[in-house]
Amino acid sequence: MTLLKGAALIAIAAGLAGCVDNKDDKTVDRGIDSKHLSELKAGVWIDPTGCDHWIIDDGAEGYLSQRLDKYGKPVCSGAAPPNTAIGPYKSGSVIGDPI
Amino acid sequence: MVTGISKVFRGGLAMVAATLIALGATFGSTGAAEAQQGVQREYIGESYIPTIWVDPDGCEHWVMDDGWEGYMTPHVTRQGIPVCRRGNACAVMNSDQLFPTNSYQISANGRAMLQQFFQSARATSYIIAGHTDSRASDDYNMRLSVNRANAVAAVAQASGARIADVRGYGERMPRASNGSAMGMAQNRRVEIICIR
Repeated sequence: MTLLKGAALIAIAAGLAGCVDNKDDKTVDRGIDSKHLSELKAGVWIDPTGCDHWIIDDGAEGYLSQRLDKYGKPVCSGAAPPNTAIGPYKSGSVIGDPI
Repeated sequence: MVTGISKVFRGGLAMVAATLIALGATFGSTGAAEAQQGVQREYIGESYIPTIWVDPDGCEHWVMDDGWEGYMTPHVTRQGIPVCRRGNACAVMNSDQLFPTNSYQISANGRAMLQQFFQSARATSYIIAGHTDSRASDDYNMRLSVNRANAVAAVAQASGARIADVRGYGERMPRASNGSAMGMAQNRRVEIICIR
């Protein structure tokens, strides 16, 4: 029963995320929150060292990428304490986190 | 015993490699031969072509969604410099307006100018980077530029600004040619990067 529920959940999640077959075009998100990836909305995650990363919670997918200054060095803005995420990083997708 | 295991392990690896190569040969689309710089190179891979996401600073990141997972990494040059669509330096201070030659003591006028700037800029924090022209030794210029950047940072902190980093690049990052007096004057500068 539990197994069945789990399988059903995964099937629903797969349907929602639009990821049933091999996806050739890696530049778009499919399903309910479909869009081109240039439209992602980011917040800032501050790592344990205190340096900034762009964080995006886009429904089924999560993205994290370093914030760098024009010299290629990490940006450590001090906008919030380490191990904190701030800003609108969950605002780009209507799909919430199940857990 | 250890060598025995290692041999078995190696044998296993060789078998996996052989299988992969065979697979590559069967499915020509995934295992392609590529002519690059005149050298034929065999590889087994899948096409992952990214698109570009531009962060709030205006800098590019490679981004991909393969259906289940999302991937992202900064777009940098081979020298490690980010590729950006707009600069994020919010002020470039001419060193001649702040300091006497060879000095890192800020003039009264310079101090007033900096105070006014930091009170109006209202950024989350600032990165201060000092630069010089190419006269005098590299070593001397590295020291002078970091001393000047520190002097600017001290004014910023006294004005209530948060400083994220202070650096001196000496003569190593010129923005103009050091071949003319005008170019050298442009290179003598303190850059202030505003982090929003």
